[in-house]
Amino acid sequence: MPDQQQTLSVPSLLLLAAFAALTIRYFFFTKPSTSSPRANPRAVNPADVEQIATMFPQIGRREIIWDLQRNGGSVNATTERILGRGRLDPPPPSFQPVIPAGATPSTANTTLAQSKSEHIDLITRYNLGSRVSSQSSSPSEGSGPSGSPQPQSWSNNKNERQALLKRRREEMILTARRKLQEKERERPQQEG
Amino acid sequence: MASSIASRRLFHEYKLLTSSPPDGITAGPVSEDDIFLWEALIQGPDGTPFEGGIFPAELKFPKDYPLNPPTMRFLGEVWHPNVYPSGLVCISILHAPGDDPHHYEKASERWSPIQSVEKILISVMSMLAEPNDESPANIEAAKMWRERRSEFEKTVREGVRRSLGM
Repeated sequence: MPDQQQTLSVPSLLLLAAFAALTIRYFFFTKPSTSSPRANPRAVNPADVEQIATMFPQIGRREIIWDLQRNGGSVNATTERILGRGRLDPPPPSFQPVIPAGATPSTANTTLAQSKSEHIDLITRYNLGSRVSSQSSSPSEGSGPSGSPQPQSWSNNKNERQALLKRRREEMILTARRKLQEKERERPQQEG
Repeated sequence: MASSIASRRLFHEYKLLTSSPPDGITAGPVSEDDIFLWEALIQGPDGTPFEGGIFPAELKFPKDYPLNPPTMRFLGEVWHPNVYPSGLVCISILHAPGDDPHHYEKASERWSPIQSVEKILISVMSMLAEPNDESPANIEAAKMWRERRSEFEKTVREGVRRSLGM
């Protein structure tokens, strides 16, 4: 006993007491005005959580709150992460935030304008006249295997995306027209 | 802020629909300058009079999408009980919950943010194959479909030929 008391000097006892006081203060008397970078769980704005949850219903609110809390409540950063990776990091099992109740959707009150539309055919609408006339001379000309269009990849360039979409539309129409022509050629007598 | 959520979600859906498009569907914004106006091409389902046809439609999204659904309007002629003569599509998935004037739709069939453009277009495709007789939008077409099926099918097939410029 006397030996042990010798090892605990007065300064180390004071240090221990100070540490204990600080620990107790940290856990029980933390003020909201602390300048610590670690955000309070309640600092995440429930409206932000709802916004993201509405945008991506497949992502759980727990994941969203966890991610918002880690990036300091930035909706943009969380959205970018979901768009880029398709998901968020799973929070640790101990993370159990208070999840706000789902937003109540408002009712739509859409007025529907009924306009008379004159029907123009697809070839005219999409300006495919030249490609149709070149196609009808050699219908089996290979502009891609019929039936199975080649897989289209997403482009990060806006103009390329627009061009890809336009090409897919045109291919779809021209393929449909070619198939219908081939079908009618097979049984020309049936059509009146 | 609300419209930025909508445009982000729409862009996300555009990306998904482009990288893994469902069979017979091509869809995307008319121009990315306005992500709230889309144009879609839907292929007529096989084994129906719409087979072989390509049907263009425009989708107009509200600024609070996906809380509220878009409206969808066929741009060409579509002779169908559930398509208004103006081209407007009448189908339960395009109706917001609580917005059920006829009280015949199940809540699960109606619009909710869990639905998507892809689900709308697939629903419209199956609507072409199987008209819903309970909510005719085009009375004449509904009557013909019910009473003179072969005439209905002939009318649709002729429309398909015309739309492809033949």
